Amino acid sequence: MAEDTKKSQDECFECKKKKDARWREDFPVGWESDNYVTRREMVKFLALGSLTIAGANAVVAAIPHVVKGSEMPKTRVALASSIPVGGSQLFSYPTAEDPCILVRQQNGDLVAYSQVCTHLSCAVIHDEKENALFCPCHHGLFSVAEGRPYAGPPTRPLPRIRLEQQGNEIFAVGVEIG
Amino acid sequence: MSTRQAQGTTLFTALLVLIGIGVVVQLWLLAASVDAIMRHEGGAAVQAAVGSLAVFIINGLLVLYVFNFDRKIKRD
Repeated sequence: MAEDTKKSQDECFECKKKKDARWREDFPVGWESDNYVTRREMVKFLALGSLTIAGANAVVAAIPHVVKGSEMPKTRVALASSIPVGGSQLFSYPTAEDPCILVRQQNGDLVAYSQVCTHLSCAVIHDEKENALFCPCHHGLFSVAEGRPYAGPPTRPLPRIRLEQQGNEIFAVGVEIG
Repeated sequence: MSTRQAQGTTLFTALLVLIGIGVVVQLWLLAASVDAIMRHEGGAAVQAAVGSLAVFIINGLLVLYVFNFDRKIKRD
């Protein structure tokens, strides 16, 4: 009786072994060999990655040449005669959602900047007494001549709007980010 | 492991690191060119693309060199 039990147990062990073998035939790749990456494979992967990134860079560089309208528009913003010395005028450039401010300096020159403060995006206003662009939210001050911050929390200059004058008309033609 | 094979392993590891650094530089250039496009400065993006292509050529030459070395070792 005991011998019979042992025999059947052995058979079952053999069966299990056979089942294991079948399972291994179906899935022959072990965890170790599956996760092992050789130096050669890594070098190939990096070289292909390098090619992909170079391609992506070329595509990004080609975007402005392929997509029309990506260049800055030329927009009429004001009449030169309508802004007195020390005066200012608001306009939008390059889109209606980008508020800007045009200021005539004491020397008669016109300058324009984005009205969005580089600290926390409040709208700056022209302070004629201080001869500065003033942010009322946190009392930041920017110089009118260069748009550079000289007081308060802002650290970056205001984006400058490039201007062109044709006769009495002033046009905005681009944005310079300092 | 023979001396030549040990040299090969060192060479592979060193070039792996160099190519890895090149890929990181390329990623930085890609980020810079996307930034330039957002600021409507197409010129900077073109320069970044040229730089990225140069890094890829260097990487490619390094890979070719190392695989030629590998083939030589196998032949010997």
